Amino acid sequence: MGGSVYGSPFKMLGAADKMLDMANFDWRRLLDALPCYVTLQDPELRVIWSNSVHRRDFGEPKERACARIYKLSKSQCVDCIVKKTLEDGEGHSRELQLTSKNGQRLNVIAHSAPFYDGANQLLGVVVTKVNITSVKEMQKQLIMVGQTVAGMAHSIKNIMMGLDGGIYIVNSGIKDNDQSEIKDGWEIVLLNFEKLSRLVKDILYCSREREPNYKLINPNLVVTDVYNLFKDLADRYSIEISLDLDSGLKYVVIDPDGLHTVLANLVTNAMDACKMDLWKDTHLIEIRTKTGDDGSTIFEVADNGMGIDKELKHHVFEEFFTSKGDKGTGLGLMVTQKILKEHGGEITFRSRPSHGTTFVATFPKRSVEDTKPGGES
Amino acid sequence: MPKKILVVDDEPHLVKYMTAFLEDSGYETCSASNGEEALEVLKRENPDLVTLDLQMPNETGTRFYRNKTKNKLYKDIPVIVVSGLPGRHLAVSQPFAVFEKPVDRDALLEAIKKAIG
Ligand SMILES: Nc1ncnc2c1ncn2[C@@H]1O[C@H](COP(=O)(O)OP(=O)(O)OP(=O)(O)O)[C@@H](O)[C@H]1O
Ligand SMILES: [Mg+2]
Repeated sequence: MGGSVYGSPFKMLGAADKMLDMANFDWRRLLDALPCYVTLQDPELRVIWSNSVHRRDFGEPKERACARIYKLSKSQCVDCIVKKTLEDGEGHSRELQLTSKNGQRLNVIAHSAPFYDGANQLLGVVVTKVNITSVKEMQKQLIMVGQTVAGMAHSIKNIMMGLDGGIYIVNSGIKDNDQSEIKDGWEIVLLNFEKLSRLVKDILYCSREREPNYKLINPNLVVTDVYNLFKDLADRYSIEISLDLDSGLKYVVIDPDGLHTVLANLVTNAMDACKMDLWKDTHLIEIRTKTGDDGSTIFEVADNGMGIDKELKHHVFEEFFTSKGDKGTGLGLMVTQKILKEHGGEITFRSRPSHGTTFVATFPKRSVEDTKPGGES
Repeated sequence: MPKKILVVDDEPHLVKYMTAFLEDSGYETCSASNGEEALEVLKRENPDLVTLDLQMPNETGTRFYRNKTKNKLYKDIPVIVVSGLPGRHLAVSQPFAVFEKPVDRDALLEAIKKAIG
C-alpha cells in the first residue's frame, strides 16, 4: 500500500476511512484481491475487462470472446449464462470446464449478473467464476474410495462363501465321523483363511506410503527363492518354469521383500494365464534377470499363456481389476506397481492375445549409501 | 426318486460344498467345472435343475446358459444363479432365482423346493 498515486488524497484520514475511500476510489483493487475470476463482458460476449487472477490464468482479454479465451466447445456454449442475463436481466449460474492459457483444465462455477449504467441501461454482464478444480479432484478420490470399498466387499464375500463351505463340510464330517471329510473341509477353511490374510495384507500395503527397506542383495538369489516356491505348484498344472539369469549380476540395492512380492505376483499371474489358456499344449514361464545400460536391474517374467486382450490392456494396473472372478482380488499388479514406484522404478508389459505376455520390472541403480539406516534415498 | 441337480462352478471347493449340502438335503447331484463340460453333463444326466456360477472365466457360464436355452430339450430346466457380483445375473435372461455369495443355505433350499419340489 501507499503507492504515490494513492498517497496524497488520504493523508489526513484514519486507517479505516482511508481504506474505505480507497475502495471507492479504485474498486479494481478490491476485485484484483478476490481469489476468483471476475470479468466484464459486453453484449457481443467480448471480455472487456478482467481482474488480475483472471489475467494471470487466461492472459490479457484483448476483447476476445469468452469462447475463445476459455477454449470452450460449441456444446459448452449452449445455455450460455451471459446470453441469458443479457436477455432477462437476471443472475444465472452453472458449472463449466475452462482451459487456461497454459492448457490446464479448470473446473469452475460461473455466476452472471447484469451490469447497469446510472440510467438503468443494461451495458453488459459481470461474470464471476470460482475455481472448484480441487473440489472435483476430491470428488474423484471419494468415488475411488467408494469403488475400492465395493471391490473389497466383493472379495470378502467370495472368501466368506468359501469359509461357509469349508465349515459345512467339516461339520458334516464330524457328524458322520468321517475323518477324510473333516480333513477336506479343514483344508478349504485354511485356504480361505490364507486368502483373507493376503487380502488384508494387500489392502494395508496399498493404503500407506512406505519407504523401501533397502539392502545389498544378490537379486538372482531372490529369483531362485521364488522359483523354488512355485515350481512344484507349476508342475501340478504341467507348467514348466525356467530361469535365465544374468550371472554378471552380483550385488544390487533393492528391498528384498519388495522384490520377492513383485516376482511372486508376476509368476502367479503368469501361471493363471497359462491355466486359463486353452490353445497350447505346453505351457512355459521364464524368469529372467538382466542389467540395463544405465546400471538398472531388470526382471522379466514371460509366459505363453492366454495373453491380455486389447480392451483389458489399460485396466490391468487398476486396483480390484481382475478377469479371474472369484479367484483374483485384482490387487496383485497394483501392489507390484506401488513397490516399483517406491523404488523409483517402473513396470511395463507387452502381450499378444492368445500367445503370451512378458512383464518387465526395472529397478534403478542405487548406491550402497541407501542401505544405511536413516540414509537418504 | 430323488430329483437331480447339476452344480456348475469352476471352483472345486464350492462344487464340493454345494453338492455335499444338496445331497444332505436329499437331492442327487452331478457337477461341471466349465461351460462346455456343463453342456455335456446336462445331456448325459438330464438334471431337474441347474445351479450356475456366473463368475467363471471366459464368460463360459453365460455361454452355457445361452446354449441351454437354445436347446428345446433343456430350455425349461430351471436355473438358479449364484454370483458374487451384484447385477451380474442380468447376463442371463430368466433365472429362476438369483443368490449372491455367500449363499444363504435355507433360502437356496426353499427356492429349489419351489422350483422342483
Ligand atoms: N501374465 C498375464 N497374462 C494375462 N493376463 C494377465 C497377466 N497378468 C495380469 N493379467 C491380467 O491383469 C489382471 C489384474 O492382475 P492382478 O495381479 O492385479 O490381479 P489378479 O491376478 O486378478 O488378482 P490377485 O493378484 O489380486 O489375486 C488379471 O486379472 C488379468 O486379467
Ligand atoms: Mg495377480
